[in-house]
Amino acid sequence: MDQSSKPFSKYRTLIIGLVVVVVILGVTLIIWAIGQAGTTVDLEAVDVLANSSDECVTCHREVSPGIVDQFSHSSMAAAEVTCRDCHEVGADYPGAVEHEGDTILAEPTPAKCEKCHEAEVAQYYQSRHSLPAWVAVAGSGDLSPNHLAMYQAIPEGSFAPDKARNAIAAIEGPVLTPFTCESCHSIGEPMPDESVGRCQKCHIRHSFSLEQARKPETCNNCHIGPDHPQWEIYQESAHGIQYATMGSNWNWEAEAGNLSVVDFPAPTCALCHMSGFGTTGTTHDVGDRLSWYLFASISQQRPSWQDNRTRMHSICFECHNENFIKDLYAGADAATQQINDYVQASNDLIAPLQDQKLLTSEPFDEPIDFTYFDLWHYWGRTSKFGMWMQGPDYSQWHGVYPLLETMADLEEMVNDKLQAAGATP
Amino acid sequence: MYHLATVSPFVKRVRIPITRDQAMLLMLALNELLLGLETYLAHSISGTIMPKEWIPIIFGPVAGIFLLIAGLLALRKRNLAAVIATIIYLASTVVGLLGVYFHFIRAVLPYATLGEMISIPLFVWAPPILGPLTFALVGLMGISAVWLEEPPDSGRLTLMGGRKLQMPFSKTNAFFFMVGLGTLATVISSVLDHARTHFENPWLWLPTGIGIFATIVAVLLGALENPRRGDLITYVVAMVLLILVGMLGVLLHIQRNLVMENAIVVERFVRGAPFLAPMLFADMGALGLIILLDPKERGEEKPDIENITANL
Repeated sequence: MDQSSKPFSKYRTLIIGLVVVVVILGVTLIIWAIGQAGTTVDLEAVDVLANSSDECVTCHREVSPGIVDQFSHSSMAAAEVTCRDCHEVGADYPGAVEHEGDTILAEPTPAKCEKCHEAEVAQYYQSRHSLPAWVAVAGSGDLSPNHLAMYQAIPEGSFAPDKARNAIAAIEGPVLTPFTCESCHSIGEPMPDESVGRCQKCHIRHSFSLEQARKPETCNNCHIGPDHPQWEIYQESAHGIQYATMGSNWNWEAEAGNLSVVDFPAPTCALCHMSGFGTTGTTHDVGDRLSWYLFASISQQRPSWQDNRTRMHSICFECHNENFIKDLYAGADAATQQINDYVQASNDLIAPLQDQKLLTSEPFDEPIDFTYFDLWHYWGRTSKFGMWMQGPDYSQWHGVYPLLETMADLEEMVNDKLQAAGATP
Repeated sequence: MYHLATVSPFVKRVRIPITRDQAMLLMLALNELLLGLETYLAHSISGTIMPKEWIPIIFGPVAGIFLLIAGLLALRKRNLAAVIATIIYLASTVVGLLGVYFHFIRAVLPYATLGEMISIPLFVWAPPILGPLTFALVGLMGISAVWLEEPPDSGRLTLMGGRKLQMPFSKTNAFFFMVGLGTLATVISSVLDHARTHFENPWLWLPTGIGIFATIVAVLLGALENPRRGDLITYVVAMVLLILVGMLGVLLHIQRNLVMENAIVVERFVRGAPFLAPMLFADMGALGLIILLDPKERGEEKPDIENITANL
């Protein structure tokens, strides 16, 4: 062959050799990857920032090593999110503080989270976890015009906005409430930068673990106790029993938006209310699948409750048949209505006291105020939650029974007051 | 050499309205368009598309449209069309290599301890490192297809201004190598992706086995100077199998994403099994078959003197 006419001809063997090497390496990689297919990536075992010389990392390893350890074992750090991505802001940023020559947010707000998680933050803003949670304890009086408009666009915001404020928080005042109501309700607190809430209430800093956020213990932080004992009800339900006995084998790190009964053979709080499961897509709007305003003294069906119900049904359908679901919903609808009737009967009981101005104008300054509040806020709501979440003990002995008992007490208290005032019971 | 005619002499009688290079360029323009869509779906998985993730999403359709325009322009101003196409294919190569870099750095932990910086599970967990390589492959094949090879199968390309460049292989052989390596990248991506499911599903062995087979056949054919009919038939079988695997993969991925009563949930199609991804196998198969078309340009057909004189 005439080499001079083909100047690159001498490279033929080299090119063929390189191609063969690439093919052999590729096939080796394929065999290796198949061999390790059963191995899941255990990022929690890897210190992603072990050799980092970043100033934030090196300094905080000395002064607060716990948060560096949490973050350096997180998927956020593995995805190359840095401390500065979330904390660093301009000097004029609302809420910014000076820190070692930089200006930072001590507590990053959803405005920072939404730079990467836009859809999730938008869904969260539309939910009960957003402004309605905050207004429930702080009222809507201090909301900015933007926040007020946002609040009123949320289903819970359009439902009797200012009546939602709990007078107990006002009585307890600013010394106590940070440790009491606000501790949970700050999940929807307006932020100085006009964003709302705290993603970190559920996605605990700085490990940002998918498993942690998905486990029902995370919800237990707030959804517990006599006024909303969802955690206790879940524990006694068939769903909770399956979680307690078999949950350790579930696929807690499964790809979001793509979950199935293979990953989660029984539901958790997040699975029913938020996860992409069955024919329903993922949402961070926790009210998106709910039919009723169960939190209210007298419950009403939510706007678009039929659509919400269809979405929740599609979750149930993954394990239950249509008759089971229809029967449960028909029964729970009727039961909710009956609890409403009890609370309405209680309202009717105290109505003469209100009509005849025999109650003080201040809330929670006499025993009957507490008795009436307990009736709907503890026992009425617990009855309803227990029925919908299938916790019979909570429906009965922590719900309907004390509700009836309290109604009897209330009636006696009303009669005593009327008699003391010389009025006819 | 008209390889397809060697496989089946019947095709000589069929008049194909476009040349091999035109068919290749048309297919590659379609590739750019579909790559934009596929990348859009892939980058939507997290729910938020970051600024640099928009690069391939925007580039794909823009490149595809420009290439189609260049194709029409080539009917009158071939040189201008070749310049436009070359620029686009060079850009496609850059976009692809940039993508590989961005995906690769997500798969390594640069500040972790030495033994933990790179591991196979991390490559499984991270975005597909070889996925963006498709843009680079399309770019490389496009550049190869744009410039005339005179005479056919000589490896002698005519560049801008009539300059000549002698390549070590003919266009046909180079295309075989590219399809071989493209198929390899497709198989590796598929294996890393399927490793998430622990390879429990026996269907997953099909793309792996056929993909490796097609890779080796295509690369071997690239190294052969004068493949025999048997070699070419094996190659055609491998390419057809790739196409079938791709189509079957699309069906299986769609089936995987359907929920009860075959309901379609858009989120599952975005975040679940990527339904367009298996088409890469079919794409490689189709590109591989196009290589077998007649490499001659229009107007190069010269009278068959031997036949004519024999008949006299």
